Amino acid sequence: MIEVRNLSKVFPDGTQALSGASVSIPKGDFVAIIGLSGAGKSTFLRTLNRLVEPTAGEVWVGGVEVTRLSRKELQAFRRKVGFIFQQFNLVQRLTVLDNVLHGRLGYLPTWKGLLGLYREEDTAIALEQIKRVGLQGKERARADQLSGGQQQRVAIARALAQEPELILADEPMASLDPRLSDVILGILKEYNEEKGVTVLVNIHVLELARRYARRILAFNKGRLVFDGPVEALTPEVERQVYSGNLEAL
Amino acid sequence: MSLAFFAAGLSLAGLLGLGRGSVRRYLVAAALGILVASPAFPLVGAVGYLSREALEPTLAALLPAYPLLALVPLAAALALALAHFGGRVAGLGGLLGGGLGLFALLSFLDGHAHLVKLRPVPGLMEGVAALALAIPFLALAWGQRKRAWLWLPLGVALGFGAFSWLNSPTGHTYFPRMGAYYKLVLPAEPGAEEALVQAFNQGLEELNRVRQEIGLPPLKPIQDLSGLGEGRLPQEVAQAGYRLLQPAALRYGAVALLLFLGVLFGAGLWLVFRPGLEEPGDLRQGGVMAAVALSIFPAFDATEFDLGKLVKGWPFLVNFLDRAWPPNLAQPQHDIYPLQSVASEMLLTVEIALVGTLLAALFALPTSFLAARNLTFKNPVLRLLFYLMRGFYNVDRGVDTLILALILVAAVGLGPFAGVLAMAIHSIADLGKLYSEAIENVDKGPIEALESVGASGSNVLRWAILPQVLPLFVSYTLYRFEINFRVSIVLGLVGAGGIGFFIKGAMDAGHYDQMVIGIIAIVLVVNLIDFASSWLRSRLV
Repeated sequence: MIEVRNLSKVFPDGTQALSGASVSIPKGDFVAIIGLSGAGKSTFLRTLNRLVEPTAGEVWVGGVEVTRLSRKELQAFRRKVGFIFQQFNLVQRLTVLDNVLHGRLGYLPTWKGLLGLYREEDTAIALEQIKRVGLQGKERARADQLSGGQQQRVAIARALAQEPELILADEPMASLDPRLSDVILGILKEYNEEKGVTVLVNIHVLELARRYARRILAFNKGRLVFDGPVEALTPEVERQVYSGNLEAL
Repeated sequence: MSLAFFAAGLSLAGLLGLGRGSVRRYLVAAALGILVASPAFPLVGAVGYLSREALEPTLAALLPAYPLLALVPLAAALALALAHFGGRVAGLGGLLGGGLGLFALLSFLDGHAHLVKLRPVPGLMEGVAALALAIPFLALAWGQRKRAWLWLPLGVALGFGAFSWLNSPTGHTYFPRMGAYYKLVLPAEPGAEEALVQAFNQGLEELNRVRQEIGLPPLKPIQDLSGLGEGRLPQEVAQAGYRLLQPAALRYGAVALLLFLGVLFGAGLWLVFRPGLEEPGDLRQGGVMAAVALSIFPAFDATEFDLGKLVKGWPFLVNFLDRAWPPNLAQPQHDIYPLQSVASEMLLTVEIALVGTLLAALFALPTSFLAARNLTFKNPVLRLLFYLMRGFYNVDRGVDTLILALILVAAVGLGPFAGVLAMAIHSIADLGKLYSEAIENVDKGPIEALESVGASGSNVLRWAILPQVLPLFVSYTLYRFEINFRVSIVLGLVGAGGIGFFIKGAMDAGHYDQMVIGIIAIVLVVNLIDFASSWLRSRLV
């Protein structure tokens, strides 16, 4: 499903966020990515759908070389990749349904999208996903009237409405009450098991990673320092992952 | 009179000292003020034969004729130098500077009128103007040491270029008052005054005969020049370069110097008794205060600020109010209905503001997206459009609605259409700039989210940016409507219709009792619209 070769990213200010990461993830896997803040987890995830342009290396997703896609091709590719943000990134003044329907924009011709002329099936999919995340009855509520946990569930519904083949979640619980973590990860896990969709989640709470993921990737200072099944993550490896540069915290 | 200004400065210093802050900064400000005002502010008046031969020399220009005046800036320089040491020394410096300066200035101001000779200083004002042009570059060179190699030669070249151009015959054609603007005042030759007095007394008989014929009272023989006929020099004397210097005719420079001297002396007094009234860094504060004070004096003079005129005009104001009340609401027997006119014209004024604002908003809406940095920085073509739009906004903002209306009235004729066009054109810039700033400040999260679902660029604009900025756009448009309503009142004055037109008509015809209805209506409607608009805006965001 995902093939990453020698992936590097240097930001314009000179920060080396990723250096030479190579990894291969099969379809249907549930992968947790761990590491300190600033270790490169977020950059890694964002290069997979090119929200961040890598400086070197190749990214293949589902047989497509993402790094070589043109603008149009990239848009077509992205509609099959759901991305969930730490800060939800909802349009606050729009309703829950409008926000979830945004997940269908990639499937519409541009002019229909501009006018908001969604097809019936688009609305049906959106409503179904709202129900899946447990927000039925809130479809007409404005996003800014919801609690943080509800907003993140809207954001997840938006990603699921894309009918994604891959879900990338960047610290989806970090801005929420820790008790909501199980709700969020539960939804993702359920979707992963039901549809066989590959899920990559950035997590900084190790315990959650162990509980939900089948496989763990660990980054430290932009380098991939661990790649293996949950069971192989011994305390010794843990120390290695979280070693060094504390100021990055 | 002169002492009153000094006393005012003294009491000002006394009051300022009560504020417990540093007094030394006032001392420094006053000393700097004296140093600048001495060569820059006109001190007293001098007359020739024609009114345009009148002259207002500065203290520095008077030095050749009255060397004692040099004590004023010299004593101030001494006070400034001593201020560095702080404490009692600074205080004594202030006392000495203020006292010596006052002595020198008063002994000059109390003197008689004198005959003086002028000597123009060629190139002085040209030099000052050139220096003013060069100073920003020199400041840039000082601020950006790394770029000094660029700014320093550029500033020097510009300064010298400007000086040689201004000082050339071409420069003097464009700025005819600049050449020989600054004139030194030299003492007249010994005996010249007496000769002038004698000549005047000899010609008196002839003069009085002429005066009697045209019905003017006869003049008496004079002892010295202060009594010279109606304060004018004979024509041939004035043409020979002489002027009659009148130390009693104070100009604003004298007022400024006396005030500064008073503050200097007063601050000195404070410091002698309370040497602790100083703070680190107050010297710089003094410099800022001096700059503010120095810019205020010539401004008051230039605007001919004169409370005496207000006192003289008071009866007109009373008369105006007397004739304006009670308002003349309607006179059916004469077929005059002012209240009806005010209502109709007020409605028209609101309508001008509505249409003008709407047209501006319609044009600003699409262009503001091109004027938003964050939407245009990726693409070189858009980038060019961005600079074009911003350039258009900046030019447009500079041309006021009233000026546009004057031009458009000439083009499309009197009436509200000219006003609407002028308002629309000018408001585009204001709204466009506000709109584009709102676009630049949107939350970037939703943009990223919409990009991540594979939405096209225009859909990102539609679904991530527009919902965020639309309420702000509406709010800004309402705010602009408030302003435009007030503008459209004034628009009537230049013939672009509405309530202003009614008021101008009533004023010109002397119908103050009709005009007052318009004024009351404006007060009411302005407040009503401001209230309604701010209520609406508070509900939007």
